[in-house]
This record gives sequence, structure tokens and C-alpha cells, in this order.
Amino acid sequence: MNEYIATFYSHFGAVCFKKACVSCGLPAVIMPVPRSLSSSCGTCVKFQAPGEQDFPEKNEEIEQIVRTEGGRFVQIYEAEE
Amino acid sequence: MKNEKTVIAGAGVVIGLIAAALVFFGNPANMGFCIACFLRDTSGALGLHSAAAVQYIRPEIIGLVLGSCILALVNKEFKPRGGSAPVTRFVLGMFVMIGCLMFLGCPFRMILRLAGGDLNAVFGLVGFVAGILAGVFFLKRGYTLKRSYKMQKTEGALFPVVEIVLLVLLLAAPAFIHFTEPDGGPGAKHAAIVISLAAGLIVGALAQKTRLCMVGGIRDAVLFREYKLLIGFAAILISAFVGNLILSAVTGNTYFHLGFTGQAVAHTDGLWNALGMMLAGFGCVLLGGCPLRQLVLAGEGNTDSAVAVFGLMTGAAIAHNFGLASSADGPTANGKIAVVIGFVVVCVIAALNSGKKEA
Repeated sequence: MNEYIATFYSHFGAVCFKKACVSCGLPAVIMPVPRSLSSSCGTCVKFQAPGEQDFPEKNEEIEQIVRTEGGRFVQIYEAEE
Repeated sequence: MKNEKTVIAGAGVVIGLIAAALVFFGNPANMGFCIACFLRDTSGALGLHSAAAVQYIRPEIIGLVLGSCILALVNKEFKPRGGSAPVTRFVLGMFVMIGCLMFLGCPFRMILRLAGGDLNAVFGLVGFVAGILAGVFFLKRGYTLKRSYKMQKTEGALFPVVEIVLLVLLLAAPAFIHFTEPDGGPGAKHAAIVISLAAGLIVGALAQKTRLCMVGGIRDAVLFREYKLLIGFAAILISAFVGNLILSAVTGNTYFHLGFTGQAVAHTDGLWNALGMMLAGFGCVLLGGCPLRQLVLAGEGNTDSAVAVFGLMTGAAIAHNFGLASSADGPTANGKIAVVIGFVVVCVIAALNSGKKEA
């Protein structure tokens, strides 16, 4: 299982995505965005999944998704502007 | 993330000491920093209201924005964004200011008033927490002002440039800028420009680095049981308190006065102190941060926050033009009506922007 963090444009988007993760059987927690990931102070979802193909459907509120690798963040998805 | 907590606590200590020092250097008592008061003073200096006692372009505000902007540029975190319900944010900013001027201070000054022994601020704190809980209630029910979008660099840079223009106006002091006459009120009490500006730059940079937010601390504690930002809140309170005690001992003047009566730029009406800060806390959660945080985000290029700051400044003008702002004598009838209207407006905004079906 890999660990991922998804950031959102709104708290609401994070709540929706966390529920979608749980309904897909993926362990997920909602928490403040880590400072090392962003200077924004929003809400993110930390979740675990075997791979990107196992992610729940992305909602329009997702800003980016990163994979955590030993304290580093590797961006794997970024919303189009 | 133990290190992050230490950084936040350290930043809080420095900010508290700077706030205490600013009073020593000339700012009004318990007002080393007050984003609401300082934006109100700046509005007055620009002639947006004519309350002669509170007119001065506060360099602390300029420093906060530019300090945040400079650090964000250095760390490549300057990201112009906007388009997330700007008009709603403007209106929320207006009513946050009306709530603050009912209490006579923003959440930052509420902490500094507590650190100076002003027990009226305890009522403010109770109301503030209640307001944040009201905001969290709607956050949990899907409140959102929808996403923001990438903006042009010029759009994000415009607000910091406005602050530079304000600095030029302060230094040039042309006749059309209004300044409170000496001994004419709180607007006449200020530290030297260079000291105020330096204090703002340091605090702006620290707040950008740590994401310090008076609302965020309590909001995150309630939503996530996450206490990092709350540590910063507590650190400011403790260090400003210690700073006040040290200044009292060293100078022989009173920087700490425990009690309800005789407090500087404060009134003793507990109910309206609480309701004012409740409105401010509620509105700030819907905005996504306290007035300090809005300035810092605006410095990072967030134009939605810049619009919220313009709303705060307009709210200050309205508060003084319409006789809504409290004074040492207490709240006004107009102010009480405005706060009630504010609750209605903020509740309607919260409800109309909430949708439980997906959350």
C-alpha cells in the first residue's frame, strides 16, 4: 500500500473525497494540509491505496494528489487551471 | 512534525514580544497589533470615514503584507489565485469588521487585551469560540465558496503594490491624507514609522512561514484535534503577558492592569463584547482565516483575501460613518442593530453555500 495526500480547494471537497475513499475500502483521514506541502491552510485527505488505479473518482474540488515517499512528496496529479 | 510545533511556538513568542514592544514605542495600550483597528485607521487616513480620532496609515499593515509577500517570493510560494466568490468575501469582510468594532479589536488584539489584563476580552474570547463553532457547524454541512483559479502575476501583485503606495502616501503626507491631531485619540498614538514597518515585516514573514491564524487554531482543534496553530495562539498570549510584566518592571509604567474597568480602548458590556467577537469568529471561519491571515494570504497573491481586506476596510468606514463602532462608553444602539443584521447575513451566506447532499 502506498500513502497519498490529496489537497482541495475547499473543506467540502475534502470531506466528499474522504467519504469516497472509505466507501472504496481505502483507509483515509482528514487533516490540515502539511506546511511542507503548501502555504495554504486548508484541509487535506491522507489515504492509502495499492496504486492510482484504485483511487475513487476525482471530484472537481481536488487541487493535487501527492505520493509520500520517506517524508518527500511526489506529485502525481494536479488539477487543470 | 515536532519541529513545526516548535517553529510555531517560537514565532508566537517573537510576535507576542514585538506586540508588547510596539506599545512601549508608542502604539495605544494593548494594541501593539490590531488588524481591525489598523485597517480602520488606514480607512480614516484615506478619508473613507471622518472619525478624526482614528486616522493614520498604519505601517504595521503595510509591513505584514510585504513581509508575507517577500518571503513567499523567496520560497517560490507567491501564487496569484482568485475567483472564489469575491463579492461574498467582501460582504463577509464588512461584517467581520463590524463585529470587531463592536468588541474594539480583532482576534489578535483580543489576545493582546487578555495579555494586558483586560478581563472584558474573556467575554470576547467566549464569543469568538462560539462564532468559530457556528462556522464549523456549516463547514461540516458542506459550506464552500467554491474553488479559486490561477490568476495573472499582475493581479496577485496589485495588492502588495497598493501597500507600497500607502507607504509612499504615509511618508509624503500630502494634504488629502488625514492624520489624527496630536493627543486627538488612538490614531495619534503610534510607534515611529521605521519601527512599525519593521515589526510588520517580521510578523508578516513569521505568519507566512507558520500559517499562524487566530481562527485556524481553534477551528483545527475542533475539526481535527490538531493543536499546532493553537500553540501559536497560546505563545503570543504568554509572551505578550511576560513582555508587559517586564515593561512594567523596567519602565515603572503600567503595561498590565488586571480588571474590567479602566482598560484602554475597551468597554465593559460583556454581552456585546461576546456577540461582536462571535460575529467576527463566525465570519472568519467562512472566509477561511482571521484578518491577520487574510493580509498574509493577500501578500502571497491570493486576490480573494485581498478582496476580503477591502471588505474589512469598507466595513470600518461604514462602522464609523453610521455610528456602529463602540467606544470606551460602550456599544451604540446602531452598532447592536448592525451586529444582529450581521448574524442574519452571515447565517444566510453560510446556509446558501452549504449543501449536505454530497458530504
